[in-house]
Amino acid sequence: MTIAPQPAVAAPAPIKGSEAVDPVYRQIRDLVYKVSGIYKAEEKLYLLADGCGRRMKQVGARTPREYWNHLTVQSGRDGELRHLLNEITIGETSLFRSQPQLDALRKVILPEIVADKARQITKRLRIWSAGCSTGEESYTLAMNMLEESDRLLQGWTVEIVATDLNDHSVETAKAGIYGDYALRSTADYFRRKYFSTVDQKKLQVLPEVKKMITFSRLNLQDDSRMLGMKGMDLIFCCNVLIYFDGASKSKVIHQFFSSLNCGGYFFLGTSESLMNVNEHFHLVHFPGTIAYWKPSVNGGKL
Amino acid sequence: MIASSSAMIRERVRQIETMPAIPAVFVPLLKMLGSSTEEVRVDEVVRLVSYDNTIAAQCLRVAGSPLFGLAQSPKSVKGAVISLGLRRVETILLTCCLGQAFPAEKWALDPDVFWKHSLGCAMVCRKFSEKLSAVDGEKAYMAGLLHDLGFMVNCLVFSREFAAATERACREEIPLYEAEHAIMGFTHCETGQALAEKWKLADDITEVISCHHAVEHSRKAQPLVALVHLSDLLCRMRGLGYGYYERHKVDLVSDPAWSVLLKEHCDLEGVDLARFTFELDEAVEEIHALVSTVFGSSPART
Repeated sequence: MTIAPQPAVAAPAPIKGSEAVDPVYRQIRDLVYKVSGIYKAEEKLYLLADGCGRRMKQVGARTPREYWNHLTVQSGRDGELRHLLNEITIGETSLFRSQPQLDALRKVILPEIVADKARQITKRLRIWSAGCSTGEESYTLAMNMLEESDRLLQGWTVEIVATDLNDHSVETAKAGIYGDYALRSTADYFRRKYFSTVDQKKLQVLPEVKKMITFSRLNLQDDSRMLGMKGMDLIFCCNVLIYFDGASKSKVIHQFFSSLNCGGYFFLGTSESLMNVNEHFHLVHFPGTIAYWKPSVNGGKL
Repeated sequence: MIASSSAMIRERVRQIETMPAIPAVFVPLLKMLGSSTEEVRVDEVVRLVSYDNTIAAQCLRVAGSPLFGLAQSPKSVKGAVISLGLRRVETILLTCCLGQAFPAEKWALDPDVFWKHSLGCAMVCRKFSEKLSAVDGEKAYMAGLLHDLGFMVNCLVFSREFAAATERACREEIPLYEAEHAIMGFTHCETGQALAEKWKLADDITEVISCHHAVEHSRKAQPLVALVHLSDLLCRMRGLGYGYYERHKVDLVSDPAWSVLLKEHCDLEGVDLARFTFELDEAVEEIHALVSTVFGSSPART
């Protein structure tokens, strides 16, 4: 037989004029990576350039070089960097945003966790969507867990804890109503199985999905509340760490590490990394995606 | 591997009279790559290549790829040597020769997928070696390019059994060498070693071919074997694998090969693996494009 030349990960987006990109954007890319761990690959540099362009209009910078000065030497540079990070991560939220993450979850991680917990009496899986925004990620996880409910997770209880700092986002998340843009990566199979129609343009998540998730407001810097977030098997925290600077970021990551069970996984956004902020986590690769793993008690031997 | 199986493989490989369609420049080129770098052999390379217009043309196309970082495509082999250096042009030539070594009808593995993995691994090996001091980048490239030579032998000599192994690997989403082992009782490491010995490849390259899935068996070139082992894993996790989903979790830092490499190169400690991974993704598209133009279904062999 012949193995079909299908890509193991989604085919990369076509290059959009990367050769024409001003070299200053590469400097900005490196700066963004240094402060946030978010890496804009060469073929995505145009997205970074678009985001910079919008900010340049706001601050009145005429050239990328001038804007670089706004980011590095002028007063208010930290604030500007924050604005830029917001600009380049905006609109990244949608249901089924990262298929490689979901594949890793269902094909590799769940079988591993289920095997690890085989001897436990209570079959319980706890997932935390930290910085859940308007709920897209939480519902995606819930639907994927439901798909496994009569297979791998038969007899298991799955709890998804979804938190966000923003009250308004939490309320929107609870409603579970999404339009075309948020649903652009959602296959018909899932649309039909887990949604009801609100109107021509909107679908609402079914109650059976909603009941798996507890939405609540949480400030990740609230130490006492954070201490209560224990016993997680998986934590998803996409494009949230950009809101923290050095010291508070380390603290939050440390909290996440404590919240995870041994053998648990911590996922970030697709082009996001911890760099070397927490050496206790192991960076692990799955096809098309990376995650951070809290080693099992046996010292992290695979 | 049991001795009788080893003898059988050697005998079957010996019986391969000549590699079908292998360009005449291949064997002298291999010999040159094995000789010391001080020797002046530019004219010899140019002379050799001038016998084969196809190889010369392909060499220029590959050398002009963005992967090699030239602003302008070289116009002649000599021009490529001046821009890229002799050893790099030699490894590019080797890449082109191998690309023509086997006729399409013999493949149990999609040649497109095979070349993407081999060329991808070559590029990753070189990129990896750039992060470490005192590693010969071109040697690393050559090791990456040739590490899976055994798959070619499998296609030619054990095509039926190998087809069954690839089918099983695909179906069960397991590493190909595990399926080979289960079905054939030996793997591409042994068959590749037999061909490497027949071609009288350098000892370190032969060891890469025979030990890249078992670094601990390597005796003479353990750091190089470890480098290829890690690069191979990374390729398989980032869209340069064998075209099917491998249910596989890779913890590079906990892999014994990492310790082997670290013992030799303490600068490995400072490598930001997440960023290295993201940067590798940038090269994936170029590698796909290069393989399609150079090794594609309608090669420009005249």
